[in-house]
Amino acid sequence: MGRSYDVVVIGGGIIGLSIAYQLVKRQKKVIVIEKNEIGSGASGACDDMILLQSKKPGISLEMAMESLDMYKTLSDELGIDIEYENHGGMILIENQRHLNVMEEYIEQQRKYGLTVEIIDKKAVYRKQPHVRQGVLASTYSPTDAQVNPLRVMRGYLSRGTALGLEVRKGVHISEINQKSSGWMVSFKDGTYIESEYIVNAAGAWAAEIGRMVDIQIPIRPKKGQVVITEQIPKLGDTNVWSAEYIVAKLKPELANEKNEVFKHLGVGFALSQASCGNYIIGSTREEAGFDKKTNPEALQLIVKQAVQFFPILSKVHFIRSFAGFRPATEDGKAILGGVENRDGFFIAAGHEGDGIALAPITGKLMADCIEGKQINYNMEELKLERFRQEEVECAFA
Amino acid sequence: MNDEILCRCEEITEGQIREAIRQGATTVNEIKRWTRSGMGLCQGRTCRRLMERILSEEMGIPLKEITPATFRQPVRPIRMGIFSEIEDRDE
Repeated sequence: MGRSYDVVVIGGGIIGLSIAYQLVKRQKKVIVIEKNEIGSGASGACDDMILLQSKKPGISLEMAMESLDMYKTLSDELGIDIEYENHGGMILIENQRHLNVMEEYIEQQRKYGLTVEIIDKKAVYRKQPHVRQGVLASTYSPTDAQVNPLRVMRGYLSRGTALGLEVRKGVHISEINQKSSGWMVSFKDGTYIESEYIVNAAGAWAAEIGRMVDIQIPIRPKKGQVVITEQIPKLGDTNVWSAEYIVAKLKPELANEKNEVFKHLGVGFALSQASCGNYIIGSTREEAGFDKKTNPEALQLIVKQAVQFFPILSKVHFIRSFAGFRPATEDGKAILGGVENRDGFFIAAGHEGDGIALAPITGKLMADCIEGKQINYNMEELKLERFRQEEVECAFA
Repeated sequence: MNDEILCRCEEITEGQIREAIRQGATTVNEIKRWTRSGMGLCQGRTCRRLMERILSEEMGIPLKEITPATFRQPVRPIRMGIFSEIEDRDE
């Protein structure tokens, strides 16, 4: 006999752990299955930002706002300091064309209740004394915040385990089968487990899990390379991004000003300081399959861009690089919810670069979905079925 | 708790590392992510070996079966002005 659970969560990243934690809090019997290590996909190879300004106006932004509120009390709830900090964020605008795009963009965000404004050059240099000359303007939102994703995962795990959560690491699924009631997950080592529900929170690998139950999930890996500096005092009041980063994220087709290599690697500028003092400099957005290596060409572009924005960084050492796979969908929104004709099979993946920001709310919503509770978001927008299956076939061809 | 410092850059003690393992860390990478041991300026030059040994002890598995933490560029810290080939205008 295999062991039996209420819910099997596939994927031990921040999304899977958040869902599992919410479920054990509601007295469900839950196991997390992780083929590698906790946080070995995107969640342990990312930056630390809860950047509301980068969220698409609409359901993603609304969810991020609620998620941010959940983060504010999470340290107390989990009994671990998740290093939540709120310093606000700025998106540096270098030219008139970006200013036009950003003005329109923040207007949209304000409609959803985000506090954000455009500040002029003088205010920019007051908040960021080390930024290069010639920046035209910036957005500023006092709401942008950050957490340490590694601490968040450790907290979900230790608090979850205390509430009865089980975790199996280093196991590979061979088959997933639908039974007359519930599901059976078999492993390559010959063991199996049974459950009423399955949550596919496998991030960039969600499509692979989908294929085991004959559904096409249009999520593909976008590789993000990131650079870490030594620990230094803070350079400015807030974390910063370039408008180009936002443009690359939201409207990749408009990111046509830099050279081909920049475009190919999807380089955008993001700079944030972890609470221990290291600066995290991002990042690329590459279509590179599952190749997790960092490479000097990309790192050099990231570093060069950072030094150009903040010349003082030329004196600072970088000590580390890493890459993670952002699970990307065609429309930039995650896939959350049940799947038609697959009773009890849920998907919670495809958060791309928003996984850290959206982890708490995703956990709560998925637990609500599984319990059949009323949800205040229009979950239709996040359903798998918004992608027509024939289009999915094309995307995979 | 043993408060001998193993990771000198981040000042992480042996006790903190053993605690992380008892809370479920089963690889050097996980210990690192959970404690910051090996994440400092020297990137684990001293402590990665020690973490491997403690992990082997705590889990009762031979040292040779412990997967080392991931190695990444750069091999040693490098000034970003030099790496980016941008001249430092202040010098």
